[in-house]
Amino acid sequence: MAQALQQLINGLTLGSVYGLIAIGYTMVYGIIGMINFAHGDVYMVSAFIAVTTFTLLAALGVSSVPLALLVVLVVAVLFTSAYGWTVERTAYRPLRNSTRLAPLISAIGMSIFLQNMVQVTQGARVKPVPPMLSDGITLFTSGSYSVRISSAQILIIVLTVVLMAGFTWLITRTAFGRQQRACEQDRLVTAFLGYNVDRIISLTFMIGAALAAVAGVMVTMYYGVVDFYIGFVAGIKAFTAAVLGGVGSLPGAMLGGLIIGLLESFWASYLSPEYKDIGTFVILIMVLMFRPSGLLGRPEVEKV
Amino acid sequence: MNKKTLLATCCVALMGMTGVAHADLAVGIAGPMTGQYASNGDQIRKGAEQAVADINAKGGVLGQKLKLEVGDDACDPKQAVSVANTMVNKKIVFMHGHWCSSSTIPASDVYNESQILMATVSTNPKVTDRGLKNIFRIMGSDDQQGKVGGDYIADHMQGKKVAVLDDKSAYGKGLADEIAKELAVKSITPVLRESITAGEKDYTGIISKLKTASVDVLAYGGYHTEVALLLRQAEQADLKLTVISGDTMTNSELVTAAGPAANNVMFTFAPDPRKNADSAAVVKEFRDAGVEPEGYVLYAYAAMQLFADAANKAGSVKYTDLRKAMASNTFNTVVGPLSFDDKGNLKSPGFVMYKWQDGKYDSVQ
Amino acid sequence: MTAIVHAHHTPTLSERLKDASAAAFIALILGIPMIGMTTVDQGGFLAVMTRWPQLALFVGLTFAGRILFSLALETIKRRSQGRKSGKSAASAAEAANAALKRGTKPESVIGWLAVGIAVALPIFFSEDRYIIDIATSVLIYIMLGWGLNVVVGLAGLLDLGYVAFYAVGAYTYALLSTQFGWGFWEALPVAGGLAALFGVLLGWPTLRLRGDYLAIVTLGFGEIIRLLLVNWTELSGGPNGITSIPRPSVFGYAFLPPDTEGSIADLLGIEFSPMHRLLFLYYLILLLALLTNLFVTAMRRLPLGRAWEAVREDEIACKAMGINVTTVKLSAFAIGAMLGGFAGVFFAARQGFISPESFTFSESAIILAIVVLGGMGSQLGVVLAALVLVMLPELGRDFAEYRMLLFGFAMIVIMVWRPGGILANRAPTLIHVPTGDKA
Repeated sequence: MAQALQQLINGLTLGSVYGLIAIGYTMVYGIIGMINFAHGDVYMVSAFIAVTTFTLLAALGVSSVPLALLVVLVVAVLFTSAYGWTVERTAYRPLRNSTRLAPLISAIGMSIFLQNMVQVTQGARVKPVPPMLSDGITLFTSGSYSVRISSAQILIIVLTVVLMAGFTWLITRTAFGRQQRACEQDRLVTAFLGYNVDRIISLTFMIGAALAAVAGVMVTMYYGVVDFYIGFVAGIKAFTAAVLGGVGSLPGAMLGGLIIGLLESFWASYLSPEYKDIGTFVILIMVLMFRPSGLLGRPEVEKV
Repeated sequence: MNKKTLLATCCVALMGMTGVAHADLAVGIAGPMTGQYASNGDQIRKGAEQAVADINAKGGVLGQKLKLEVGDDACDPKQAVSVANTMVNKKIVFMHGHWCSSSTIPASDVYNESQILMATVSTNPKVTDRGLKNIFRIMGSDDQQGKVGGDYIADHMQGKKVAVLDDKSAYGKGLADEIAKELAVKSITPVLRESITAGEKDYTGIISKLKTASVDVLAYGGYHTEVALLLRQAEQADLKLTVISGDTMTNSELVTAAGPAANNVMFTFAPDPRKNADSAAVVKEFRDAGVEPEGYVLYAYAAMQLFADAANKAGSVKYTDLRKAMASNTFNTVVGPLSFDDKGNLKSPGFVMYKWQDGKYDSVQ
Repeated sequence: MTAIVHAHHTPTLSERLKDASAAAFIALILGIPMIGMTTVDQGGFLAVMTRWPQLALFVGLTFAGRILFSLALETIKRRSQGRKSGKSAASAAEAANAALKRGTKPESVIGWLAVGIAVALPIFFSEDRYIIDIATSVLIYIMLGWGLNVVVGLAGLLDLGYVAFYAVGAYTYALLSTQFGWGFWEALPVAGGLAALFGVLLGWPTLRLRGDYLAIVTLGFGEIIRLLLVNWTELSGGPNGITSIPRPSVFGYAFLPPDTEGSIADLLGIEFSPMHRLLFLYYLILLLALLTNLFVTAMRRLPLGRAWEAVREDEIACKAMGINVTTVKLSAFAIGAMLGGFAGVFFAARQGFISPESFTFSESAIILAIVVLGGMGSQLGVVLAALVLVMLPELGRDFAEYRMLLFGFAMIVIMVWRPGGILANRAPTLIHVPTGDKA
């Protein structure tokens, strides 16, 4: 029982991270109907930016953890948004009216490019940052087992909830949100109405990248170790989450992320930690087989 | 890091260019020069480069200068095989490497086929157990290492709950199996015996399992990156773990990644060669050059000494002559005297328990 | 790509400079955290290392590159406009016919030439182990490319997990030979069949999926196979792989050192040399690759092969025409997988050692890139792309770390430049020409 509660906490933390990345996939899919294969790698880039900034702050003598985190978050979000914007501008926009496969291939190219760019410029070794916020609260103790939530976990979960609330407000209540949703419905008509579709799509990529950057900073702080390969694994899992929740649905992405996170946590501690990733992929295939539109998604109508 | 590789490549290329006229003897080193374990590869390279420079300064081997070829396998068995093929093409007469057991095992087949002598620090018993005649190990093996680790747990950690974990690599699983075997001899039953997948980031699942079983001592077979992650996540879960592991924990990146929790890591490693009286001059030479001869630096140096010595004794660098000289002599090197048994294992290996303390490791009793 | 928006307006110098400055500014922003700074381990802690000169160089290059690019784009556009206006509107059939003639004739000549060179290569380089090794690798990728071409190029099914079948073939041979003593030739058909079975296994649940969903599922399938190989230690040896896989033999005689039982050198009374085996392997993969090519070319002429291309062009129309799309898709998956399995058997026999590291997603991506860069559907394009992609890193061997970087970059550039590939050969094998003569 105590172990289950502990894994619930661990799973929610992991799921929050997947959820934040999954939103980027789902928004992009909603608006231009393509899988942004390089999104996971944008997240990885943000984690490296976080490591550099953390190290720089430590060298400058910033010892307050909350201040350091705030600065790192701002820096990572800004730079990573720039990456999100550039990815769309260079690899996807020229192909917007091309075949369905062309942007996917160039997205894979972009993913390979980003991964190797980081490997070449930052090195292939793992980058560690010193532990922070590893203290925590013991919720209760049963026998010798104490269920514990660390400060880092609290921060990740709270930040995700806050971001989700803010994000929902952005999409449902602001002018940009309305334009964004209009674009999802019909790009051409949105353009006729006088809105700059290119700008809306660019902003969508930047917002997706910004949320991935938050996830990147959180992961850097929580696990303390990043390498150039984390983008591929996290990306594929976050995409699974997006598909599970229903591609195009924002609450779906978060829900999917949480489900994948919890599944992985419980699988690792009750079944075998070795096969947990296989579990994720099997679920992805099953979902696509039996419910291609996901849990909260709209069914897609095949146009002839 | 790029600049460094580039520089090193240039150096190697330059060395090659200046030496072609004298018909140099090519000797190889191979290990993880890039990737997760690059710092170990770096140690090997520094040691070997210094040794080759020193040997050449004294006139080389049998009147020929040595030329060092560096191969990078990133601890990936597939790349190791292609490195081995490249080395064969470069006509090397001696190979020091590879570093990871999982690289050494497949690569040694290639070297054996082309009759190239090897001296390795890979500790998995399978390295020398396959009947290959060309391989010599200048360090102890995991069965010896595991025995020391297991004995330490039995003698110094009585009544503690022990879990045995590995990363499924040839090295990691081999070491963990040997520790478990020795624990069984001392009639200690581990409360958990599990495997994890190296390269992941989230080990909270296995930490929860360890916590449920209230494990105090974790005997781990594998590499330092995963140990750092396990320790950090144990700390967040408020689980106090002492880790007992093997020679791969000499890497100082463990401290960077694990922070103060690294003080809970103990590991077995060969007696520190820096403390040998014979090695004092070489140690000073390294320190003057700004290199701390830790970890595998002196072993790489010793491997090159071993080759030079064997070639001088055999009076030839032909495989059969070299092998005979290697098998039947005792060699004085910076890591102490080395002599080998029929399988190519060290005759008198030793392992000592070390402990990390505030960024440095030292032996414990 | 501002030039595209103002298609009929030649930008002035100041506009160009402004545009290039903007690009340079973005390069600066992107470059600061990646090129400008990096962290290095200082034995127990990290420290930041700055590389401002490199960053300045990068920004400068972007600025210059952007100007050159916009100039080049301008020239190309002017030329193509000139060509367009000069040309009379040729009938579609005529154009297609001309394209077909242009496409087939030189292609077959070049094809025969390539075969000739491949056969003669070892005569000139019989002592150069390095050249033979590279040539063998190129041929493996050509074979894989042709196999995947069936799935992606002909049937239009995007498969990102092709390496799974390569792995199935390799592990089947490795296990059969090390555990049960099977020979290369006995294991080859079994491994191919098993790979085809896996192809159907993957194809079945994904029949309804299209485009990017299919891509993700195949990717997931590839990862499942790899994870199984990593974790199922009892079967596959886990991350350590399988060692000492026997090399192929000729009628029971192996390429072994003299005085060993069954040594071919003793049988023929010639001096033993490890080169003999390499040459044998080279000709073996050449044979396998040529058989693959013949097989695929023959398939394209059969109704089934034509159905693949038809499904690629319009699935719904095919259904309406009464073509059994399920069979068509599954057969493409199965045949592609089988060819991958054959290549896997050869790979295992050549390496003598396999591990899951050889079957990662990046390997799938390379094979896919060979197909896409070559021009989906083009057999000769695959050869060209395989040559380029295997030789490129070999030419600059010490810069191997940039190999995949350039690789990703090339994928984006080629896609943006020619969304159809270098030798785009989307023209169907069979076309209807109004005059009545068939091609």
